[in-house]
Amino acid sequence: MRQIRQKVKSPWLNYPQFPLHFDSEKCNLFPPDLRNQEVQPIKHTVDGAIRMKTVKPAEGETFDIELEESLLRQNEELAQKNRELLDKHNIHAVDILGSIGSGKTTIVQQLVEHLQGKYRTAAIAGDLTTTIDADRIREKGAPVIQANTGKECHLDANLVKKALSKLDLEHLDLLFIENVGNLICPGEFPLGAHQRTVVVSTTEGPHMIVKHPYILMEASVVIINKIDLAGAMEVDTNRLKEDALHIKADLKVVFTNGRTGEGIPELIEALSLPKK
Amino acid sequence: MHEVSIAQSIVHTVLDEAKKQKASRVESVEVEIGELTFLGIDQVEFWVKTGFEGTIAEKAELLFKRVKGVLHCKECNYKGKLRVEEDPLYHVSLPTFSCPRCQSAKIEITQGKEALIRRIKILKK
Repeated sequence: MRQIRQKVKSPWLNYPQFPLHFDSEKCNLFPPDLRNQEVQPIKHTVDGAIRMKTVKPAEGETFDIELEESLLRQNEELAQKNRELLDKHNIHAVDILGSIGSGKTTIVQQLVEHLQGKYRTAAIAGDLTTTIDADRIREKGAPVIQANTGKECHLDANLVKKALSKLDLEHLDLLFIENVGNLICPGEFPLGAHQRTVVVSTTEGPHMIVKHPYILMEASVVIINKIDLAGAMEVDTNRLKEDALHIKADLKVVFTNGRTGEGIPELIEALSLPKK
Repeated sequence: MHEVSIAQSIVHTVLDEAKKQKASRVESVEVEIGELTFLGIDQVEFWVKTGFEGTIAEKAELLFKRVKGVLHCKECNYKGKLRVEEDPLYHVSLPTFSCPRCQSAKIEITQGKEALIRRIKILKK
């Protein structure tokens, strides 16, 4: 999980003598009440920290405001809340990333089928539009919530929060969150899932991993799918694996064929799901 | 694509703060973006400029700083930059998420994932 950055308010905003006035002749900073008095160079200590503030004389006055406002904070906080909700109900959540057509939905279908009877599974299917993916997973007997993003290229923690509110969390052990087909934007938005897996398929060509190294940063498992087509595509699957391990040595790499279910037991093992 | 939402967030945060401070103009905005984020600075800059059009921040100077990726190794206690290989064949830089000193994968990224507005300068009349 990313660390959640607290908004740090500038102590200057609370400082009683703010704003300070700049005396260009003496080149020192003074609270307003000292302006016409005998000049003493001073340092302002706020909460133990010494901070200097430059205020330029202008037709108005210029103020420097330290915001430290994290632009991703809102999503990170929501992701943290999602995680707490999932933990409260002992649900293990897996975020599944991959390009369009890499086989995310087929992998989820296979996982749901293979885990039937062992875990009570559900899925959140993220897509721009349509319920095609959700319907496909539902066929396999798991409750599915469709999260349509409209035009956005990624799921965010808020969409997952909404989807979670529609699931019966009391009767669930495992949740698969299928992200929107994209290997860039979803990387920025943690959802609150416990682990992240990345699906790449041989039909995407031999360079998928090296072209998207940053998405592996937070991943624990890489699935190399459509291995049956590797020959026709002239893709060396071992090279893909080497690329992944070169970028992140502790990744678990599994080879699968989503259509036939080949490699799914190995994938389940690699996911190291909590014991039931 | 998601640069647009980040840019929107910058525009809203800056203009909200400026309003709160009763500013007549925003002089500059300083943004820090980590190199391990998925954000293209040029794209963010373009959308922020577009978002500021027609507002009191229209003429603000935009300062974008790219923050280097730094990791902490839990095995050998290395603290420093990530190893990034430049591969002219692929025309990209290939980062390695393991310790450059002991090759351990037990690392923690301590810097380079941030996207934040560090400070703004406003003019009050």
